[in-house]
Amino acid sequence: MVVAAATLAACGSSEGGSGARAINWYVFNEPGGAYDAAVDDCNKQANGRYNINYVKLPTDANQQRELIVRRLAAEDESIDLVGMDVIWTAELAEAGWILPWEGERRTVAEKDKLEGPLKTVEYKDKVYGIPFTSNTQLLWYRKDRVDTPPDDFTWDEMIDDAVDKGTAVEVQARQYEGLTVWINSLIAGAGGQIVDQAGNVKVDDSAKRAAEVESKLAKSPAAPPGMSTNAEDQARQGFESGRSDYQVNYPFVYPSAAAVGEDFQKNMGWARYPRTDKDEPSRPPLGGINIGVSSFSNKPDLAFDAAECLANEKHQAIAAEKGGLPPTTESVYETEQVKKAYPFADLLRESIEAAAPRPVTPAYSDISLAIQKTFHPPESVDPDGIVDKLRDRMEKAAQGKIF
Amino acid sequence: MQHTNRERAAWSIGILVVLFYALIPVAWIAAISLKTPEQVADRKFYSGFHLDNYEVIFKDDMFIAALINSIGIAAIATLISIVLAAMTAYATSRLNFAGKTVILSGALAVAMFPPISIVGSLFDMWRAVGLYDTWPGLIIPYMTFTLPLAIYTLSAFFREIPWELEQAAQVDGATPFQAFTKVIVPLAAPGVFTAAILVFIFAWNDFIFANTLTSTDNARTVPAALAFFTGASQFEQPIGAIAAAAVVVTVPIIIMVLIFQRRIVAGLTAGAVKG
Amino acid sequence: MEAATTSAPAAAPPAKKKVTDRAKAERKLAWMLCAPAVIAMIVVTGYPIAYAFYLSLQKFDLRFPDDKEFVGLANYGDVLTSSTWWTDVFTTLIITVVSVAIELVLGMAIALVMHRAIFGRGPVRAAILIPYGIITVVAAFAWKFAFDPTSGFVAGLPLISDDAQPLNTKNGSLMVIVLAEVWKTTPFMALLLLAGLALVPDELHEAAKVDGASVTQRFFRITLPLMKPAILVALLFRTLDAFRIFDNVYIIQPGGALGTETVSILGYNVLINRGNLGLGSAISILIFLCVILIAVFFVRVLGTSTAQQRGEA
Repeated sequence: MVVAAATLAACGSSEGGSGARAINWYVFNEPGGAYDAAVDDCNKQANGRYNINYVKLPTDANQQRELIVRRLAAEDESIDLVGMDVIWTAELAEAGWILPWEGERRTVAEKDKLEGPLKTVEYKDKVYGIPFTSNTQLLWYRKDRVDTPPDDFTWDEMIDDAVDKGTAVEVQARQYEGLTVWINSLIAGAGGQIVDQAGNVKVDDSAKRAAEVESKLAKSPAAPPGMSTNAEDQARQGFESGRSDYQVNYPFVYPSAAAVGEDFQKNMGWARYPRTDKDEPSRPPLGGINIGVSSFSNKPDLAFDAAECLANEKHQAIAAEKGGLPPTTESVYETEQVKKAYPFADLLRESIEAAAPRPVTPAYSDISLAIQKTFHPPESVDPDGIVDKLRDRMEKAAQGKIF
Repeated sequence: MQHTNRERAAWSIGILVVLFYALIPVAWIAAISLKTPEQVADRKFYSGFHLDNYEVIFKDDMFIAALINSIGIAAIATLISIVLAAMTAYATSRLNFAGKTVILSGALAVAMFPPISIVGSLFDMWRAVGLYDTWPGLIIPYMTFTLPLAIYTLSAFFREIPWELEQAAQVDGATPFQAFTKVIVPLAAPGVFTAAILVFIFAWNDFIFANTLTSTDNARTVPAALAFFTGASQFEQPIGAIAAAAVVVTVPIIIMVLIFQRRIVAGLTAGAVKG
Repeated sequence: MEAATTSAPAAAPPAKKKVTDRAKAERKLAWMLCAPAVIAMIVVTGYPIAYAFYLSLQKFDLRFPDDKEFVGLANYGDVLTSSTWWTDVFTTLIITVVSVAIELVLGMAIALVMHRAIFGRGPVRAAILIPYGIITVVAAFAWKFAFDPTSGFVAGLPLISDDAQPLNTKNGSLMVIVLAEVWKTTPFMALLLLAGLALVPDELHEAAKVDGASVTQRFFRITLPLMKPAILVALLFRTLDAFRIFDNVYIIQPGGALGTETVSILGYNVLINRGNLGLGSAISILIFLCVILIAVFFVRVLGTSTAQQRGEA
């Protein structure tokens, strides 16, 4: 038995090269081929100094994190680089699983980066990753059916307009990370925050405002079918089916619209994320991938080099072109590739700069779960009781209790 | 017995209802797998015959690896489980010894065990001994959780075997080995075969262990790999690819079930009731 | 006689010794044959459950291994005083009771149909075995896609309005989960019951028929009582299985959304998603205790019923 087990274990390890120069990069499966292209290019440039293996993670962000956390907790030496969702930094850094970028490395990581993405790699005054790609949501609307939204367009106005016109507003309100994204932007748009700089839970009336918007949409005729189970893709499909004239979503919906028909894409307008309060600028969501170096890598220097290569301007432009993933470096927005991929490149950059990062705390996953449970299902959310409920859950989450 | 036409008609309807009930989800998943990405959201049951999704998954190294893992892990787990179970079943059905009841009730307890209760510990143990994300890391739990089923099924079969024949053969001049291979093995084979099918289906079906005890193409099986498919972009749902993969892993099982239905029925009922 | 009696004790000891030797050898062989399976079962279930119990007494987060400390039964107190745990236990019980009840009725119907088959026993048996063979996760995807409000064909059916999508409501989601569970496991139930039906002697039916008993009377007075042991075994297996429900919920309502969180999903969320090994292990142990409780309950009922039957006989 034991012998059999050992032999099987030995012949099982085909993936993720184990050679002296192999660098294993764990990151989600990017279907456009942008990551493959970056990996090939870096390996060519490295000229044998290192060889990056692209090891794919599940599509779902939650599952990606579960897998990475499990492996890092196991002090797994086979992970050299982690493609980290922007919300993982504090958790992985606090646990001591990723290395800080210091001195010259830090300078490279921070060079020319946009403010928002840069914030997502910082934890306790140190930098724990190099920003690679970013992402944010825009407001998409049907030019042929609704008026151009004004600069200070609010959620309330949008919902009212949709109700008037008998159409719907597509959002992400399934009980998953996307709901946290929405609620976080609504709260930040009301001038509030969920966790402060020091990591303390801070829930105030802005949470009530967020709940009011959510509840108003859910109870109005402008709520799309399946609102409480819709994620990004259901929102896209709903918008493409014509059932709704407004949608908040990531830019992947734009190339997808071309497949529906050229006219459809032409009639698709874009604007900045709607405001929570009329007199407060909106705070769009902030997503993206940073690259971190595992503390258990036995060739950290090569890993840092590889990360710098993967996240450089050239590969950011490729990621924008092939994968629809917006850059984190300011200058890349001026390249032809990006301008061509995104007719709305300037709005995208403006949105990323103004975006509200999600809470930076090592207990992020617990906190996010607490938010999701509190703000779901949307039609049963009671704005009056929400502040106490959320505060109670967040405290339990922070203390590692059940909720 | 005489049957009127009405009885026949009623019976035919009954058959159709059962067939419809059993096949509708299978038909639906097959229908989705034949849709193009644009047709996925058309809310129609059938939108034409397109093999695009199958092309996609069979070009995907991850899926191929998962398929190989699924087949290999389930097959090895089945083999080991059956060997160990046959030994135990032989002992409990043929030999007299004090611990028999303890072993059988222990096996029953294992059959009722909630896997979620031990995935955490198992993950910790496996990473400590280097079995995390390896074939043996899945083979061992599959083998263990199928042992009770296999032991009970095999015991039920072994009890029916006329073991006197073995001695008779030896009296007739056969060596003990010959007596065993020529007389007992052919008699026991159907039972062993039934148990093997049941064990294989269990191992093929598992999701909790596959999802928590693997992390790469090294050992990830198909049920866990379904989470790795992507649509045209990060946010787009890979419904078509999942459906195609689902069909690919379902077809062999359906064929197996259709060929061996008699044996499976015998095994299921023998294990649960007579045991 | 004398000689015989005197010689008997003389002969007996060696004979007896021979028997004990043989018994010893047999016992040794038996244990050698059983050892691998027993060891595997202990290593894979016994040790982990003990380890889970040890972890459940600690404050232990995967992400902060240095903060590990002994907290006694605090984790259990935390779980048992939370409304989440009890809500989830209730949800799990609802799913279990409803699906097992439907399966029993449906399984009995299918078993009777198969038992009294006029023709076509083969196709029916083959058809109902298909759900048994299909991967649970795959079946769950099939049901989820079918009921998906945006892309499912059920949503396209004429009688169902866009506002009344099952997967958007708690009850609807539970219904779809139960449906998926019932579809997948009714065959198992039907086959167990079919085996039980085979044990009911035909002569009893014939005799009752002669006495003028109707079909329903015969079913409730003869078939059911005689099948009681088979039914209880089937119920025990399926109840324990349904109580552990995970795959279906995980796929159909990821994360146990909309009040579909079952105890296994809660355990998964706390152990795997939150990485809280202490608290998660306490939940694991509590699930294990629930399973034992259910098993003991059934064995009691099962035990008394078979005893009764023996008494009556």
